Amino acid sequence: MMQIRLHVFMPLLLLLLATAPLTHAAAREDIQSDLSSNEIAIESNFTGARIVVFGTIEDGRRSAEEAGIYDIAVVIRGPAKSLISRRKSRMFGVWMNSSSHAFDDVPSFYAVLSTRPLSDIAKPDILASRGIGFNSVLPVPEISAYQTVWEGEEARDFRDAVIRIKQREGNFIDDDRGVIFISKTLFRATLDLPASVQDGQYSTDVFLFRSGRLLSLNQRKLTVHKVGFERLLYTAAFDYPLLYGLIAVLVAVVVGLSASAVFRRD
Amino acid sequence: MLQVYLPIAEMSINIAMVLGMGAAVGFLSGMFGVGGGFLMTPLLIFTGIPPAVAVATEANQIVASSVSGALAQWRRSNVDIKMGLVMLIGGFVGSVVGVQLVKVLRDLGQIDLMIALSYVTFLGIIGFLMLIESLRAMSETRAGRTAKRRSGQHNWIHGLPFKMRFKHSKLYISAIPPIIIGAIVGLLAAIMGVGGGFIMVPAMIYLLRMPTNVVVGTSLFQIIFVTALVTVLHATTNQTVDAVLALVLMLGGAIGAQFGVVAGQKLRGEQLRALLAVMVLIVALRLLVDLVLEPDELYTLAPLLGAK
Repeated sequence: MMQIRLHVFMPLLLLLLATAPLTHAAAREDIQSDLSSNEIAIESNFTGARIVVFGTIEDGRRSAEEAGIYDIAVVIRGPAKSLISRRKSRMFGVWMNSSSHAFDDVPSFYAVLSTRPLSDIAKPDILASRGIGFNSVLPVPEISAYQTVWEGEEARDFRDAVIRIKQREGNFIDDDRGVIFISKTLFRATLDLPASVQDGQYSTDVFLFRSGRLLSLNQRKLTVHKVGFERLLYTAAFDYPLLYGLIAVLVAVVVGLSASAVFRRD
Repeated sequence: MLQVYLPIAEMSINIAMVLGMGAAVGFLSGMFGVGGGFLMTPLLIFTGIPPAVAVATEANQIVASSVSGALAQWRRSNVDIKMGLVMLIGGFVGSVVGVQLVKVLRDLGQIDLMIALSYVTFLGIIGFLMLIESLRAMSETRAGRTAKRRSGQHNWIHGLPFKMRFKHSKLYISAIPPIIIGAIVGLLAAIMGVGGGFIMVPAMIYLLRMPTNVVVGTSLFQIIFVTALVTVLHATTNQTVDAVLALVLMLGGAIGAQFGVVAGQKLRGEQLRALLAVMVLIVALRLLVDLVLEPDELYTLAPLLGAK
């Protein structure tokens, strides 16, 4: 039995092996990318930073016309934090926070840059599964059967507010013209991190699409961290708060004493 | 445009602007002999510093300004240490309660409102009273009269128990009023980031009837310790003391105060007080307007505390 089966399959297997390199080349264009720097230091003069993501599509055999339909999406994601969004309403004549909504694991920074609008690049479910676009980070909440329409709308308003405020801070960025082809295979994307960026591990995902299909993905890591004096202070404030507080008082006493010594008039 | 990054506020700020603000408020505090916290904290909030950080950091700055202020008064032996220490008992209690209150209100998302409301209330009342008083003094000076000072009169304060002798102030009064005044000042220091001189000085003069020459020194003496405690408590409870911001403010304030003192000696008292009253009222009005007008953005974002 075994002998017979192998006999039948052997020519087919050989054929497959022979054509394998060819089909591989057709299906797998690769993408390579890197960052202008893998590390961003928050120093005392930090006012934000510019990052350039650049790379190349590895498939030189394609003709220029075909290469033109490549789509690239670059996603940069900062460490996830839990957030609370609060909404003000007028009470007793003043505007005060009256309702709130907590969000778990929202990236402190999220940028999505692409060669053209995301909706033209791939179907929403593909984008969502790969974490591309604001909708994948903060999905529009579905109105469940247990909610009133009003509650459902309120949840959507809170979600929209998070995106809106983060965008205004510069911590959420979407730019559907943000990835530029310098040549047929060489691309570049530039983005600015605001001064308020959180420190931590950032990930950079570069996706290569063609005709709505994900062809390749390349990942890079980016570290944002406070350094030197800024780091010392931040670490002290959260890890040794008592010592930090005592030193802050001591510095104040020294400044106060020095001021009266320097400016003494009597 | 020299920008400096504030590690706790997590924002970048123009160092010249903060130095200038510190110097301007320092100038005013030197000129009027006030702490300046009640002007500095709202200014910091107007520039976008989170209110909780503004309050805690300003408390830290006041430690510096009150040390140099108290030292100058000490040299003229204008400090009633015993009175200061009794007030501190209340001051410490008030600070501890105040810092805990800040923590609770922060968790509830109401701390910004609480700070703004406290400022509107206190600045409104103080500014109004100061304006009335200085206008009256101005018209009296013009009419050639001098303000009468009642002293030695007994009030309800003298009926209270736990009497103590305060030699320096030439007083024999109950310890309860100083402790209560101290407690209120401690509470205000924790919530508003002020030394509390604007409450303490009138209370010491009109309620305790302390001699005017020891009032400012004694108040500064106790402010040092209350704001020092508030700084440490905010650092340990809320992690809201920004040491970089505080240092820049201290330097600006120290320089500004020196020029303010000189300017203050050349100008007339009543007009100065009227000017200060108007400024206080403007700050109060601005804060009130921000509370009453519909904000452009109804939503705010904050990190969920306790979930790091």
